[in-house]
Amino acid sequence: MNKKRRMFIRMVVASLVRRRSRMIVALLAVVVGATILSGLVMIYYDVPRQMSAQFRSYGANIIFTPEGDAAISDEALKAGAAVFPAEGLQGYTPYRYENTKIHNMPVTLAGIDFASVLTTSPYWLIQGELPAADGQTLVGAKLAGELGLKVGDQVSAVNSFEVTADTDTSGIPAYEIYTDPETGETFCDHELSLTVAGILETGGSEEEYLYVTLPDIASLTRSERGYDVVEVSVAAMQEDLQNYVGRICDTVPGLSARLVKRVTASESTVLTKLQSLVFIVTAVVLVLTMICVATTMTAVIAERRKEIGLRKALGADEASIVGEFMSEGLLLGGVGGILGSVLGYIFAQVISMNVFSSSITFRPLLVPLTIAASVLVTGLSCLIPIRSAVEVDPALVLKGE
Amino acid sequence: MFFRMVRGTFRRQWKKMLMVALTVALGASIATAMLNVMLDVGDKINEELKTYGSNITVTPKSEAVISSLYDVEGEEANAEYIAEDKAGEILLIFWANNITDFSPETRASVTVNGTEAPLVGTWFNHRLAFKKKGTDYQRDTGIINLRSWWDIKEGEWLNEQALSGDGYAMVGEALAEAAGISAGDSVTVKNGGKTETLTVVGIYESGDDEDGYIYTTLPVAQRLTGSEGYFQKMEVSAITSPEDELAVKAAKNPSLLSGDEYDLWYCTAYVSSICFQIQEAIPEASAEAVRQIADSEGKILEKTQLLMSLITLLSLLGATLGISNLVTSAVMERSQELALLKAVGAKNAQVTFLVLSEIMLTSIGGALVGYLLGYAFAQIIGRTVFGASVEMSGMAAFLVAVLIIAVTLVGSIPAIRTLLRLRPSEVLHGGR
Repeated sequence: MNKKRRMFIRMVVASLVRRRSRMIVALLAVVVGATILSGLVMIYYDVPRQMSAQFRSYGANIIFTPEGDAAISDEALKAGAAVFPAEGLQGYTPYRYENTKIHNMPVTLAGIDFASVLTTSPYWLIQGELPAADGQTLVGAKLAGELGLKVGDQVSAVNSFEVTADTDTSGIPAYEIYTDPETGETFCDHELSLTVAGILETGGSEEEYLYVTLPDIASLTRSERGYDVVEVSVAAMQEDLQNYVGRICDTVPGLSARLVKRVTASESTVLTKLQSLVFIVTAVVLVLTMICVATTMTAVIAERRKEIGLRKALGADEASIVGEFMSEGLLLGGVGGILGSVLGYIFAQVISMNVFSSSITFRPLLVPLTIAASVLVTGLSCLIPIRSAVEVDPALVLKGE
Repeated sequence: MFFRMVRGTFRRQWKKMLMVALTVALGASIATAMLNVMLDVGDKINEELKTYGSNITVTPKSEAVISSLYDVEGEEANAEYIAEDKAGEILLIFWANNITDFSPETRASVTVNGTEAPLVGTWFNHRLAFKKKGTDYQRDTGIINLRSWWDIKEGEWLNEQALSGDGYAMVGEALAEAAGISAGDSVTVKNGGKTETLTVVGIYESGDDEDGYIYTTLPVAQRLTGSEGYFQKMEVSAITSPEDELAVKAAKNPSLLSGDEYDLWYCTAYVSSICFQIQEAIPEASAEAVRQIADSEGKILEKTQLLMSLITLLSLLGATLGISNLVTSAVMERSQELALLKAVGAKNAQVTFLVLSEIMLTSIGGALVGYLLGYAFAQIIGRTVFGASVEMSGMAAFLVAVLIIAVTLVGSIPAIRTLLRLRPSEVLHGGR
């Protein structure tokens, strides 16, 4: 028994070594098949995550609005943002709106954090630069056209408010403060001088606003009252977004979160299409590749009809011939599967780096799956030609018919 | 003699040749399906991206110079409006076929049953008749497609074509709640001294400010604002090509381009060139790209196309290796036959030619079957994913043909050369 097993192993190894070129052909076919299998499946699973990040170029998909009349406080904003997983949260931008006048024309002033605004509005096209310090402003293109502003110009925004005992008047020149002689109330026309750092083009209503930093808007109005709207950009599937929104509305007081339906609904439509595209492409390519591997294996085995005939003529029984040839095929399938999973991972990684410039998630489960699939396909494709060769009369096979 | 030998090979070795043909057919079908899908995926995804709504807005030129300076004849020109009969003009531009939907609108601040709300009058599924090169055409367009993300909570979409008259409206969820309106109700809409009574066909949820709006047909809004025959703004949704360097350069100022660049820009479906052409068609309007939509479309499109081309490359590589592999082994198998031919005095060139023609015939046969198979696969992909057929491009057919011929040559020639270098006596003796 022991001898027989040693002979068996020697024959399998010898056939792999002696018929090197043929075995390389067969192995190559299996490796290519396994590479395509593991590479494509890995890409298929990673596409939604990677594409979802790309879809963030549409900008904010969640907005926070205050619950009730009070503005959003810093604490509420922090608590709300903490609900999102750190790797999915692309950024959030708080907005505070105030009405002011420029050359006596009413203008809406928006206070934002310029450091984070491009995470929630990546499509903003800015001529000039984003304001880098207080005292600088970004002017919407329409407004700039109406006011005749260019990059580098100076502009003064005037905000009128009532001066009470609580108002911090430090730094306000005396000539800006006046008292109404009839009512005795004190008012202030506070002026803020700004340098135009950039002109904003979006093609939307943003072009009608004047954007300044949050400290500037606080100093202009002499009040710190929180934010009116917070735009949030989160890379996640729609169901997850819905969960986050629900959780924020339930757990964070003073904050109401909403999905921007135009962005989220459309994203899930397009993403579903994209994923089903990759899915069906993967399925078609896999089926065709597997058939291709099978035909190659069949051709390689069919060549060896003579060898099978010879063994049979020498008295080998059918089971041992089938067993020997099959184990050769299965060994090829296994080795091909291992090589293919490694190559497939490299392929998927290269594609992911090229298309999305981010690395792909390695899925360990795919390795045994790829090996199993390639062993199965090679096994099945060997079985048919071996069986047909075994069933033939050895004399006929050896004669070459 | 040559033909007899070729025929003989096919008759005697049909099984092996069939195997080669089958593998070539499979490879060719992968290549055909993937190339066609890849070449068409841009258009298909672009159409899907139209669910984000319009990517161009058309507004009257802020200083309606033409009308105020030159006093356009007859009509009382108004700086805030564009004539409604001009809307159809955008279907006459060079890229008219890329315009999927458009809808003019007129806005007013009204009171609905006593509650203040913005009113938008627009086309829902308006049937527009227009003339192009002397032929009459009809086209359905409106916001039903431009607001694909609206959820109809109650009732249904306002179907302009099915309803008679124009006293209908759709109300946003927030406004419906505030004013206590439900589908089927009649509401009274007032703007200044003008009053209209409208039947609410549906209540929608939009997830943005439009939840507080009332939408009605364009003529109603025109009557309420006293601007019959005019509109204020138009949303246009067009299929565009991703922006590149030329588009960026042109966006700044088209007149700075050289002649060739200008032609290339004008004849490419960039959002900037479509905007430019709309302004040519409607001189009193200014067309602008909605950057949120236009910009992102380009990015998504680029990524999808890149992804698909790399997957295509991977599967082409697989198919190529599979084919050349099998072709090589099919040639190697015939070492004895080739040696015999040489032994009876055939020249190397003759032997090469014989084997090549046999393999080529097999490959071409396989490739033809594969092309048809690939066509079927491409259509299956198109139908299941996009619900539309995939356009078969001539370029894909050409590429597949070149690929198959090249792969067959690369797979067989080195093998034939190796065999010819061997000495016939050794081969025939069985030494190899």
